[in-house]
Amino acid sequence: MSTFDVELTVNGTPRQGSVEPRRTLADFLREDLGLTGTHLGCEHGVCGACTVLVNGEPARSCLMLAVQARGADILTVEGLANNGVMNPLQQAMWESHGFQCGFCTPGFLMQITALLVENPNPGEEEIREALSGNLCRCTGYESIVNGVLRAAGHDGSPPEPRH
Amino acid sequence: MKPPPFDYSAPTTLDEALALLLEHGEDARPLAGGQSLVPLLSFRLARPSHLVDLAGISELGSIVVDDGHLVIGAMVRERAAERHDDVRLLAPLLAQALPLIGHPAIRSRGTIGGSLAHADPAAELPAVALLLDAELVAQSRDRGKRTIKAADFFSGFFTTALQPDEILTEVRIRRPALRTGSAIEEVARRHGDFAMVGAAAMVRLEDGKIADARVALTGVSDIPVRATEAEAILEGAEPTDEAFATAAEEAAKSLSPPADLHGSSSYRRHLATVLMRRTFKLAAQRAKEAA
Amino acid sequence: MQNIAERYTGASVKRSEDPRILTGTGCYVDDVRLPGMLHAAFVRSPSAHARITGVDVTEARKLPGVIAVLTGEELDALTVRGPGAAGMFSAGLPMPSFSVLATDKVRLVGDPVVLVVAESRYLAEDACELVVVDYEELPAVITQEQALDPAGPPIFEDLGSNVLVRSPVATFGDVEGAFARADRVVRAELRQHRHQNVPMECRGVVCSFDLGSGELTVYSATQGVHIARTGFATQLDMPLEKVRVLAGDIGGSFGLKLGAAREDIACAAASRRLGRPIRWIEDRSENLTASGQARDESFEVEAAISNEGHILGLRVKMIIDTGAYPGLGGMLPEAVKGMIPGPYKIGALSFESTAVITNKASYVAYRGPWASETWVRERMIDLIAKELAMEPLEVRLRNVVTRGEPPLQMLTGRSLVGVTSRESLDRIAALVDVEAFRRRQAEARAQGRYLGLGLATYIEAAPGPRTPGGGGGIMGPEQMRLRLEEDGTVTVFTSQMPHGQSHQTTLAQIAADEFGVPFDQVRVVVGDTDVVPMGFGTGGSRSATMAGGVSLHGARALRAKVFEVAAHLFEASPEDMDLAAGAVSVRGVPARAVPLGEIARAAHEPGRVPRDLEGDLEVTAEYDGGEGGWAGGTHAAIVEVDVETGQVRIERYLVAEDCGVLINPAIVEGQVRGGVAQGIGAVLLERSAYDPDSGQYLSSTFMDYLIPTACEIPRIEIEHLETVPLDADVNFRGVGEGGMIIAPPTLCNAIEDALSPMGVRVTEQHLPPCRILELIGAIALDP
Repeated sequence: MSTFDVELTVNGTPRQGSVEPRRTLADFLREDLGLTGTHLGCEHGVCGACTVLVNGEPARSCLMLAVQARGADILTVEGLANNGVMNPLQQAMWESHGFQCGFCTPGFLMQITALLVENPNPGEEEIREALSGNLCRCTGYESIVNGVLRAAGHDGSPPEPRH
Repeated sequence: MKPPPFDYSAPTTLDEALALLLEHGEDARPLAGGQSLVPLLSFRLARPSHLVDLAGISELGSIVVDDGHLVIGAMVRERAAERHDDVRLLAPLLAQALPLIGHPAIRSRGTIGGSLAHADPAAELPAVALLLDAELVAQSRDRGKRTIKAADFFSGFFTTALQPDEILTEVRIRRPALRTGSAIEEVARRHGDFAMVGAAAMVRLEDGKIADARVALTGVSDIPVRATEAEAILEGAEPTDEAFATAAEEAAKSLSPPADLHGSSSYRRHLATVLMRRTFKLAAQRAKEAA
Repeated sequence: MQNIAERYTGASVKRSEDPRILTGTGCYVDDVRLPGMLHAAFVRSPSAHARITGVDVTEARKLPGVIAVLTGEELDALTVRGPGAAGMFSAGLPMPSFSVLATDKVRLVGDPVVLVVAESRYLAEDACELVVVDYEELPAVITQEQALDPAGPPIFEDLGSNVLVRSPVATFGDVEGAFARADRVVRAELRQHRHQNVPMECRGVVCSFDLGSGELTVYSATQGVHIARTGFATQLDMPLEKVRVLAGDIGGSFGLKLGAAREDIACAAASRRLGRPIRWIEDRSENLTASGQARDESFEVEAAISNEGHILGLRVKMIIDTGAYPGLGGMLPEAVKGMIPGPYKIGALSFESTAVITNKASYVAYRGPWASETWVRERMIDLIAKELAMEPLEVRLRNVVTRGEPPLQMLTGRSLVGVTSRESLDRIAALVDVEAFRRRQAEARAQGRYLGLGLATYIEAAPGPRTPGGGGGIMGPEQMRLRLEEDGTVTVFTSQMPHGQSHQTTLAQIAADEFGVPFDQVRVVVGDTDVVPMGFGTGGSRSATMAGGVSLHGARALRAKVFEVAAHLFEASPEDMDLAAGAVSVRGVPARAVPLGEIARAAHEPGRVPRDLEGDLEVTAEYDGGEGGWAGGTHAAIVEVDVETGQVRIERYLVAEDCGVLINPAIVEGQVRGGVAQGIGAVLLERSAYDPDSGQYLSSTFMDYLIPTACEIPRIEIEHLETVPLDADVNFRGVGEGGMIIAPPTLCNAIEDALSPMGVRVTEQHLPPCRILELIGAIALDP
């Protein structure tokens, strides 16, 4: 099989590599570029752990071939902090005890990043719906939802229970 | 869980893509958004020798309005269609259906044409195309363009009328008549999953009576199906709960849906009844509001 | 000591794990990169039960990029047979002989048969497709009935049958008398379906054998590095000290990642053979099919009751399906037997059990492995309430133990001192307002809407009451080393192996408070057999008490030792030492304070302190669990069932729980919510399904095995009861497993309550929408 040169921008930096067509974008990021922050939880497009932003849109990097990303602008979890300082979403998640084991975390952060760009002030139902393609096995999601609310400018405390 | 080896081309024109398909024969597959094909590759359930990536063909990527038709290029991403004003205005049912497809990260890559050509009987877009009498335009290098009615397009489980050398290029949807309402509802195990059963309905009212009723179902057969018995019963009827219930029950009798892990055949038949009733009612209500 | 307001313990301190997790700079096993590393994949069985008649690896070995192809026979020659990871749970049980990879037979779909090692995982999978294995199909043993059939084909010939253990009837109290006295007897056959852990990170290992030193280094996703090391050393026939196991960040486990798995051993053996590092990362399909499953149990239960709702006696017969390779499943009935009375004054009990082997994935620990005792008991209580037309809450209140009133002992033996089940029931009753709910329920029913309220109560030995032979700790005492460093920080070496539990935060909170340094001056080191003390690792909800306790006592001991050294420097008495703002002084003379780091340096410098205090300023502490105690609580769910579609919506979910003193409330609540989410998943979504005829596994993708999303899990309202301090210092109790133990009966009870107008009696734990419509008679069972 022939190989293809892949040139793209990752987290603002031009990167390149040479791949077989079958190599997934996730494997390209993790194995060829050493960006292991993006995680693989199912490799069939359900769990969302591998979500990255491709030209600003969330995408499963396990469902994209690296060759399909030629010329693209990719943002991964490693690109969120600025010179080692966590961005407001990361800070909000830290404050909210958003995650536990951390494996699903990169996918959530990227999906939330996309959500907040599109809708800077989402309600709880909108948040849950936007995140329903990202599986977390540890938290029961409430702390993640609280983290999004906090990042969107709410104080992060849970709303009054429904009676 | 890694894909088997295959070759790859990324043409920038439709002609080039059609030539590549012809050159590589039946083992070549067009690659649209990849949201169904790539997992099949990773499971090694699909083994094309060559993928022809359609993403670089700009002529497949636009949404235009042409002679009262909404014309959507096959490579329009579902998320882009979802955000498009013309889709909301001219094809409200499609606009209602798009957010039900998977999740945002799937829709940002998945394409309108890819979903139709993949022809999953549980998917929303094939049923919507069927209900709207959409026209699907296919093109091959040797035979040129042809238009396939949605009713003739879906031929079996994950199978369509497309020939191996053909590419689905666009889908044409006629703007709905006045006083028409539509609705789509589905029951899935979880939010965003392929539905066990889905129903899309359209109701047109004239003088307070049903002038035209249509319903299409997902998940009850190897292809999306219209419940024509229900449509016949409702034509000319008053839009009452009883009429919708009777129509739904009668139409469901002839269904013999497949069973799987998520639901039995009886369950799916029952869901079809419930969802037809619910969507007819909602569509009729919207038709009234539209009047 | 600092005053309470300044304490870290009890505050939702931000996790020290989070900066690396949130920036993508954590290191999970799949992130480990070693020079020359190769990649493994396994050829796995497509059949549930078959004899291997031939293995041809010729073509696979020829594929460029393939380094080695090792058959089951070849690996058998490189390893020692044994129960492997299951061994720690199977002492005293019959144990068949089996090899690391299948040689004679395959015993489940996904049984590993051949190991391929290649330059990439892609190539390894290509080569797997070129391996030809010939099978002679055997009848699959899938159901309990098939396993109990003496004419069925034995899965292990050397066991002779598929019954692994048949335990005789054990009786507690006067069972016959109880049933003779009973006003009524309630009977039920209850079924808990098979489901599984599904951590977001699959299993994985990087094995690196150094030909020069003869040492094996393994990077593993594991709940305990020492247990894993023992597994590798045993099955590779290596001295323990030649094996080092390291673990970094771990993406969840829930009981799955214990010890060295068969695949791990195969990779280590291959690394030793090749002298190169080998990485195996399980993919999701392998994980769902072959990593292990849990909770496949059925029960016949009879309850002797009085018309007032008192439970006079229980007769319980349990059958557990342990899957193919025996392990934890064989010993679980003992745990269920011991725990089935729960926090209730049950008059008498008879219990018998059978453990069978089937052609399904092996039974593994899953968050509260013995949970069926709670499910069965709490389901039976609701069935009793239904029989008596009583409020289920009332039946619980009439039977539950009351603090300070005898008998405060479980019928099966354990002390119930400190149990607060009654308090949690009272609290939930107040939060829910049962009477108001019943009025709302009646109004809703009149409109064709079906609401239900369910509640359930549990206790968990986390760690359990002090026993005559030792402390409260199950699985032995806990050790910790603590060292004062020259920069004034305190390093804590723990055998805990956190995989989401946040021990690097919680253990530091406790040590910081007790020693008297800021939180960020305590560093918690985990995951390296060369440096962390021996110990089980993380599991069994034991960390809060055991590791929390040893962190407290260890920090206290280290502080005392620091004061002893400082006293020499000051030529004063240790009792007169004071620690403030990171420096030690003679009490009342703060101007002459010596920074902590200086004290550590002094201990390192020859001659500055007496010889017996020279060297690292370090202590090794051990904690036996102290007075121990129970964790527990009551949960309630209010659900609405759509009787047209069978869908269940959880309107409210409430928790009143008691895990003693909270170390970090946000972390406790995260554990509770995560456990509840898994319990909700079990009831509504998750099932490890097999075709009963062929034994094919039907849930091998995330489109089939459905774990809940943010849209299926409601907000969970939590109240903490911190009722009973039993110990002078350590009253933290484990909270990891409780949510998963108690959510399934809570939800099943709520669903049955919602459907009570249709006369539905829930006897199974898995209630997907299709099944709900079958139960209410809206649809027929498919033929």
